[in-house]
Amino acid sequence: MNTTITRGIEYLPRSRRRLVVTVALAGYPVAVAALAALKHTSLNRWLILVLLLVLLLPTLATLAVGYRYARGRIDGRGARLDERDLALRQQAYALSHRVLAAILIAATAITEIYLTSGNTLRFDANAFWPVAIWVIVYLPALPSLMLAWIETDQPADA
Amino acid sequence: MPEGQRRVHNRLAVLRAERGLSRKQLADKLGINYQTIGYIERGDYNPSLELALTIAELFRLPIEAIFSFKPMTPLSEEIFREPPAETR
Repeated sequence: MNTTITRGIEYLPRSRRRLVVTVALAGYPVAVAALAALKHTSLNRWLILVLLLVLLLPTLATLAVGYRYARGRIDGRGARLDERDLALRQQAYALSHRVLAAILIAATAITEIYLTSGNTLRFDANAFWPVAIWVIVYLPALPSLMLAWIETDQPADA
Repeated sequence: MPEGQRRVHNRLAVLRAERGLSRKQLADKLGINYQTIGYIERGDYNPSLELALTIAELFRLPIEAIFSFKPMTPLSEEIFREPPAETR
């Protein structure tokens, strides 16, 4: 069963892998935004928690799939890396850097527009934790996700 | 394959089949992962010069008989091709 799942992940077609990466990257910000919106409603707190978990579950699952797909090829642990793996790792790190730079530039620009429009930003624990969790979860996972994004479909066994 | 890289055609699949080697067996001889053989055969990955030379050495063939920028013609066609008129 475990081997079947592992092989299934290993041979995921690129279109599905890209869907997995998209869900993994978008899931958490969507969940945080939903939580921020739901906080201002009269919904029961437990219901909000359940909704949050439902939104986070696909994110966690897709992050796990992305990490498993890279199977040690990013950190080099437990995998014998050959020249193609090393080249792919380099490409994944380069793409991660580009994606991270784009996210940081976009976040800075949005904050700048928000602040110059006469709004104020309170940086308390409520604002800090979502950012901290994003950094803790996504920074290490980004190269694995990018590897899953760029690698072409595996050739059929012969 | 990264953008801007020229595609390198090869006869790896034919040579491997000719010698009755699986991808795994060839990969083990070359010290690489078996998927890499598949990617090279499909033209999705261009091997390094070192790996290309190692492959040529393993098959005891000149490197240009295995790798080329031009699409490969069948080996039999090359063997039985008429030599150019000036060399006859």
